[in-house]
Amino acid sequence: MRLSELKNKTLPEAAALLGADEKAVALERFMQIGLPNKKSEEYRYFQVEKLLDKAYRTLTYVPKPIEEAEKIVIVDGIVTHAPHGMRVYYEQCQAMDMTHFDPMYYLGHLLSPHVIKIDLDGDTDVEIEHHYTQSGALIAYRIVLINQANRHATLFESFHDEGVKDALVLYGYDTFVAPDSTLRILKNQKMEAEGYAMITSHRLQLEQRANAVIKSFDMGAGMGLQLIKADLDRYAHIDAGHLLYLNGEAQRGTVSKIIHKGEHSTSNQEAKNILDGTSRGIFDALIKVENSAKWTKAHQNSKAILLHERAYMAAKPQLEIYIDELEASHGSTTGQLDEKQLFYLRSRGISETEARKMLVIAFANTLIEQIKDSRQQEVIKTTFEEAFYAGEKDMA
Amino acid sequence: MSKVLEIKDIHAKIGEKEILKGLNLDLEPGKVHAIMGPNGAGKSTLSKTIVGHYDVEVTEGEILYKGKSILDMEPEERALEGIFLSFQHPVEIPGVNNAYFLRTALNAKRKHEGKEELNAAEFLREMKKYLEMLGMKADMISRSLNEGFSGGEKKRNEILQMLILEPDVIILDEIDSGLDIDALRAVSEGINLMKDGKRSFLVITHYSRILDYIKPDYIHVLKDGRIIKTAGPELVAQLEEHGYESIVEEA
Repeated sequence: MRLSELKNKTLPEAAALLGADEKAVALERFMQIGLPNKKSEEYRYFQVEKLLDKAYRTLTYVPKPIEEAEKIVIVDGIVTHAPHGMRVYYEQCQAMDMTHFDPMYYLGHLLSPHVIKIDLDGDTDVEIEHHYTQSGALIAYRIVLINQANRHATLFESFHDEGVKDALVLYGYDTFVAPDSTLRILKNQKMEAEGYAMITSHRLQLEQRANAVIKSFDMGAGMGLQLIKADLDRYAHIDAGHLLYLNGEAQRGTVSKIIHKGEHSTSNQEAKNILDGTSRGIFDALIKVENSAKWTKAHQNSKAILLHERAYMAAKPQLEIYIDELEASHGSTTGQLDEKQLFYLRSRGISETEARKMLVIAFANTLIEQIKDSRQQEVIKTTFEEAFYAGEKDMA
Repeated sequence: MSKVLEIKDIHAKIGEKEILKGLNLDLEPGKVHAIMGPNGAGKSTLSKTIVGHYDVEVTEGEILYKGKSILDMEPEERALEGIFLSFQHPVEIPGVNNAYFLRTALNAKRKHEGKEELNAAEFLREMKKYLEMLGMKADMISRSLNEGFSGGEKKRNEILQMLILEPDVIILDEIDSGLDIDALRAVSEGINLMKDGKRSFLVITHYSRILDYIKPDYIHVLKDGRIIKTAGPELVAQLEEHGYESIVEEA
């Protein structure tokens, strides 16, 4: 299947191609927005057409019995393992966001015959391993995450490609963060140049006084874009952090819309980007404060270090504000390693190459060290260093 | 050898402005040389020139360290050979752990000298004694390098590096600025610990206060990019009383 075949199709034609019900609301929304192209606002820095024009094998998603394990394992969109007692099951998506900005959110839903629902009961830490094993396949699946009021849950996601080539993964979660609860989602993803490409489209609904922490650590090469929409009710708070370390010809990054709907809601979004080779980093992030969201606090910042003259950072922090009673800031800087810091290290006998490595790792660590769990912190540090040293080797 | 560092007719500029205009200075092994001079005389440029700072372009002259020219050497090579600058304003580096930085620097030096590198445990044992002597809190080495350090803590950290790296030529650029009496005493103790009759010190200062703690052998007055007078420690009193203008008249 080529997704670009959906271009300029009528609703019945698209329904036939996707095997979807003509009356499906997701299809209606998808047709309204249309397939993304280089002129689409959200995909203007990401060569999405390159991915949509490729022919992929489609997969049939047959649920298997779930075996007991310490973590949730999802292989090509099918859950194979889950911890004992954890409620992980398939169901039709009950609550799709009908105002999502991303057409691939709806396409992902249309291509997924069901959603994987994960109930996060009580205070819990869960690990999800995503595995991709099918070269040349279109792998589409979605997760619905539900947590409980007054509880604190952490989800640690990692991605494993097992040498697949030319696959396209359409993935994402619909998350409902319950009142007075905290949900932390940490994503650790290292991709390879010729491996799978990925478009993740998330939706987060933060109820009153809910607290969400979304940290993504995207490293290596390849093509990947995460699109996030978050709606904040009264006193809700979101803390979003994105680390990019890219090399080769990578094109990766974040496109997000954080929408303050309730009074006293707060958001903090920070992106740290390190770009080597001819890679392109993307941070295209909007914070919207609606007129119902008085006394909002919203802060957004992107910092990028270019390690190569051909690396490119597309940083577009934006604020869209409809009230006067708020505190908001945004900013973006793109530059090279700090000459003073580099000199200081060298003046102590540390070679320039080693000093540069130390500064790059230090820049990344300011975000990595915000992770409270030291084990998860170490895992991400190791992934970063593997990607960094692999990139250095490629450049040498 | 009677001179460890020989600075010969150095002309150096920062940007388009010539700061050092034919400066001559010799450092003797085991001696403390103090450089005093008014603002803008070129004191900090002199220290930057010796360590190979990227701001400075040497247009004329020569610097010999142990008889060998260092002007074509990279800053890290000069450091490995034994030249150390304690910065006036040490830079903060968030994300670089202080202990990791110190160990990397020490192991680079040890490797250069053909010695075995120290592992983390051996290194921490080595450091403990210095931390106590300098009145540094144990958590200062587990924090990011100089990040959030007070002025005094930054200077103590500079001295800690000096003690660990054991350089042969030690340049102290305004080491006393921003220090209270206790910090000044701790820093001076660290410096005096390094005085072993072999190492040379170049103490760059505005004020004579630090020289009460680190007794100089020579006082050099730097003005308008040149050393205009060299004398014994008695010169400090004259400078205190009559200022730098009196020296100009004598020269």
